[in-house]
Amino acid sequence: MSELALAELGYAALLISFFLTLYAAGAGFFAARRNRFDWYASARNALYVVAALTTLAVAILEWALITHQFRFEYVALQTSRAQPLLYNVSALWGGQEGSLLFWAWLLAVFTAIVLAQNRDKNRELMPYVATGLAVAQGFFLALMTLATNPAESGFIVVTPWTPNALNALVGNPFRLLDFTPRDGQGLNPLLQNPGMFIHPVTQYLGYVGFTIPFAFAMAALFTSRLSDAWIRTTRRWTLVSWLFLSLGLLFGMQWAYMELGWGGYWGWDAVENASLMPWLTGTAYLHSVMIQERRGMLKVWNLVLIMLTFGLSILGTFITRSGVIQSVHAFGVSSLGPWFLAFLGVTLLSFLYLLFNRMDQLKEENELDSLLSRESSFLLNNLILVGAAFATLWGTIFPMVSEAFTGKKVTVGAPFFNQVNGPIFFALVVLIGICPLIGWRRATPENLLRNFLRPFVVSLLVAVALFGLGVREWYGVLTFSAVAFVLMTIGMEFYRGTVARMHAQAENPVTAFVRLMLGNRRRFGGYIVHLGVILAVLGIAGSSFYQVETQVNLKPGETARLKQYALQYEGLQTYPTENRQVIAARLSVLDAASGARLGTLAPEKNFYESPIPDASQWTTEVAVRTTLLEDLYVILAGFDIKANTATIKIIINPLVVWLWIGFTLLIAGTVFAALPEGREAHAAARARMPEALAQA
Amino acid sequence: MNSIATPADRGVIVKTGGKAKFVIGALVILGAIAYVTFSSFQANAIYYLTLKELNAQRGSLINQPVRINAPLDKSSIQFDANTLLLKFNLKDDNLVLPVVYKGVKPDTFEQGESVVAEGKLGPDGTFYATTILVKCPSKYESAAPTQQP
Repeated sequence: MSELALAELGYAALLISFFLTLYAAGAGFFAARRNRFDWYASARNALYVVAALTTLAVAILEWALITHQFRFEYVALQTSRAQPLLYNVSALWGGQEGSLLFWAWLLAVFTAIVLAQNRDKNRELMPYVATGLAVAQGFFLALMTLATNPAESGFIVVTPWTPNALNALVGNPFRLLDFTPRDGQGLNPLLQNPGMFIHPVTQYLGYVGFTIPFAFAMAALFTSRLSDAWIRTTRRWTLVSWLFLSLGLLFGMQWAYMELGWGGYWGWDAVENASLMPWLTGTAYLHSVMIQERRGMLKVWNLVLIMLTFGLSILGTFITRSGVIQSVHAFGVSSLGPWFLAFLGVTLLSFLYLLFNRMDQLKEENELDSLLSRESSFLLNNLILVGAAFATLWGTIFPMVSEAFTGKKVTVGAPFFNQVNGPIFFALVVLIGICPLIGWRRATPENLLRNFLRPFVVSLLVAVALFGLGVREWYGVLTFSAVAFVLMTIGMEFYRGTVARMHAQAENPVTAFVRLMLGNRRRFGGYIVHLGVILAVLGIAGSSFYQVETQVNLKPGETARLKQYALQYEGLQTYPTENRQVIAARLSVLDAASGARLGTLAPEKNFYESPIPDASQWTTEVAVRTTLLEDLYVILAGFDIKANTATIKIIINPLVVWLWIGFTLLIAGTVFAALPEGREAHAAARARMPEALAQA
Repeated sequence: MNSIATPADRGVIVKTGGKAKFVIGALVILGAIAYVTFSSFQANAIYYLTLKELNAQRGSLINQPVRINAPLDKSSIQFDANTLLLKFNLKDDNLVLPVVYKGVKPDTFEQGESVVAEGKLGPDGTFYATTILVKCPSKYESAAPTQQP
């Protein structure tokens, strides 16, 4: 087939998908209103076909990317002949049109999965769920197949069958050039990093995933089936979406740390904030649904939280796509922004309208009993998480808002976010230690003393020890002793559970520990996640409070010193690779005191030559020596090939590896909690029932 | 597990005073977060100006932290790799602003179409930048990141 035919086929697949989502939305709604399950079955089939057609569209674009079909404008911009295959594949989500297609495709596949999962379940909810998902899907398909630049033509869509109309579509991934370039421009070299291969995928999986619980929440409002059925059905979807957002954060931070080469992993950039905000509200949601499941409370709050999480996911996509906010990641200014805002506004307003209409059916089944209870500590954690999301949102979008209203642009940078979120996150850390150990309903002073006396003593000892070791910064002492407090409370939970089991079941410690974990996946998965968060906090605190750096210009043979390290410069080395020219500064790392050799580091500057004028680009490849205590992080900032000199920047980032370890644990814990509960847990749940009834 | 919620529960535990303390508590916490947010915002907010706006308010902005966004005059770029001193001019029509930045030069600087610089305007008319961010011309190029504070 010719390129033209394939481009038209790809476009047609998307256009037909769009009409099918319109049909599915209509049929699903009709089915829900009139209780006509046959119409729902038809809507479901339409959405299955959408999944197949969008898969075809992705396959066509991937084929074009891999086989260098440069007449496709997207292929010409995102790939080049010299670019490694890996990055030609990942170019699918490297640019705007491709990522729209990727979003739509993921949503189509998720939709098909959730519809198949619930084939015989949730019969009342599902028609509305299908409707909601079809609408969201239709929006992304419309962006690709019908949307033009609203700034030029208003919210007008083109008639796609007129000549050349396809090229006027700003979101169309299948635009063709009127000639075939010999080579393409290629993906920005900064994005050519294995972390960048996986980061956008996980980020999108998370963003898209939250559409599913949101659609169920909407369906619950429509049907007035507002018990926790919708929460239970989407528990695993929510956990997995949150898992992917966490993975997105992890890979994003690692990419920033290794590829951007400024010595940090988080700069409070708009796009970073965009990925953090739904994670924060999603975290709040994961906690507060437990209260609804156990005690029938916080129903309105849970609906609001899932709405916020979905809204912030769409906002995240919008911020990344629109370039409306100055950002290191923005894809350049795009004209799709107003479409996103319109979609977001309409969706959230309809949700809120429904919510207000159902207020009388959302009465709490229980009331909060005591300020000192699990419920209120969860509520506190929720307020703080949402507060952090709000503060971050405020700092992120205020420049836009202030310009719109006053004409003056005011902006804030990292100091604002650190100042606000620092104390908020500190409070969260302490709560992580307290929440899981406070009793439900009403905690007694004995309960508190029993659970918190030892951790408190340990944290005091840590504070004293740190002071003795010469740590004088109050925020450092405070943070590290809080970390010790929480580690102790988590450790005690594992210890007590194991000991109790050893006695009750006469098991050896290992068996008891393993069975305890396997029998209570949700609970202990949660503890592992908490442990991960605390270790990450350790890494964040160490690297934010105690980073040191220096900058030196070196001739061969000269040595630079920072703390206990001596870096001896041996000279420059230049060599070509498949797609770039490498200039590396070779450094021997020695122990400054003993002179013992610790290894070598070779920070690089890479030159990516492009056939397109002005598109050639330099990138910086840092060299890092990691230990459990600190990272020695070296940047080649400048060099002179003739004189064989190099200017290097040396940074010591204490404890940073714990950030990666912590996030890995967090992810492991989430996976553990998301796996199906074992038989023992069901038995345990049954055993708890009489107790629960007795309490009531 | 809604087994806990029996009608008796709902009927019996209706303490009107009970709810108020939670509402107050929540409001206090949200109020505190809002206060910290807005006060930190006031303390850290800086103007984001074009070259023309900067020029118009030049007198009042000396040594005030500001962020500016202006086209880069590529022919003016000077970088000393030994001292890591980067000098360049931003220009908008006939306005020219010399900028000095000490640090690692962004990799995409030479291709930069415009620069976002944060720093202070010195009395000598030179802008001393602490952070610079390059905006690249290509439609899909991401803006090049630079050293962050």
